[in-house]
Amino acid sequence: MAHQAHAYHMVDPSPWPLTGAIAALLMTSGLAIWFHFHSTVLMTLGLILLLLTMYQWWRDIIREGTFQGHHTPPVQKGLRYGMILFITSEVFFFLGFFWAFYHSSLAPTPELGGCWPPTGITPLDPFEVPLLNTAVLLASGVTVTWAHHSIMEGERKQAIQSLTLTILLGLYFTALQATEYYEAPFTIADGVYGSTFFVATGFHGLHVIIGSTFLAVCLLRQVQYHFTSEHHFGFEAAAWYWHFVDVVWLFLYVSIYWWGS
Amino acid sequence: MFRHLRTLQQVSRRTLSSTARRQLENKVPHKQKMFQEDNGMPVHLKGGTTDALLYRATMALTVFGCGYVLYALIDAALPKKKD
Repeated sequence: MAHQAHAYHMVDPSPWPLTGAIAALLMTSGLAIWFHFHSTVLMTLGLILLLLTMYQWWRDIIREGTFQGHHTPPVQKGLRYGMILFITSEVFFFLGFFWAFYHSSLAPTPELGGCWPPTGITPLDPFEVPLLNTAVLLASGVTVTWAHHSIMEGERKQAIQSLTLTILLGLYFTALQATEYYEAPFTIADGVYGSTFFVATGFHGLHVIIGSTFLAVCLLRQVQYHFTSEHHFGFEAAAWYWHFVDVVWLFLYVSIYWWGS
Repeated sequence: MFRHLRTLQQVSRRTLSSTARRQLENKVPHKQKMFQEDNGMPVHLKGGTTDALLYRATMALTVFGCGYVLYALIDAALPKKKD
């Protein structure tokens, strides 16, 4: 059997990039078909294919790293760069929505009544549920750091407990936001206030769900002994993502909820 | 002295809960052996029959999806005659 004379990872040929690309095609075309012809079949097919691709692709990465030992220090460095670059791209994504918010709110047009919040809009009280949400996410930042230290110190049970607590806090945030959305006195259709509010907080909420899912996968892996005290990059990536989600919320809270009221 | 008390606490907890926890034994060494076996299988099929089934289902949906999207888009692009 031939052995490689370098520390890098030459991956096996994989069908998942193809299935992922087709899933993207099906979801986008499906969206157009849904809008014009009211059929959701194509879009749903695309979503199923996307979920299958994600499950199998990431399952394979776990196999390559944890079971086959391909994630050597140089490879791990590459994975770290990759995650940092991805999070940076997400920062720019949110930057756009903050730009839109400040564009409309710093110089409110006469159509809005020349004021912000616009005439007729009753904003949410920033010191009620939004403040609780801030506390919940900040607490989850503490618990995820606790989880990290537990993993590094080989404290298996504490790692499981603190990671579980982090996920529960994330779910609590999502539930609170869902009730806020339901109870809000304004909708996404209420002019530029509604648009900026629900698009910015909506995408943030989606990222909370994604982050909670990532952490849940890490919990399953921790229970199954995948992480060692020296090597647990999957968890670190999830923790970085979670801190990013937390920071975005802080900006949302200060800009839209607090200053914007 | 407190360290000894803590160890006792942990050992007793471990003993009491070990029955419930028996199914959570460390299977990583077993998996490492399975996935490092020199059988020429690519990583996405190396886990066994379930891998193959899931791969086939995914590929079937991919191929069907390709065909369906072409049909749907061509149909949407063609002018429909109104009676």
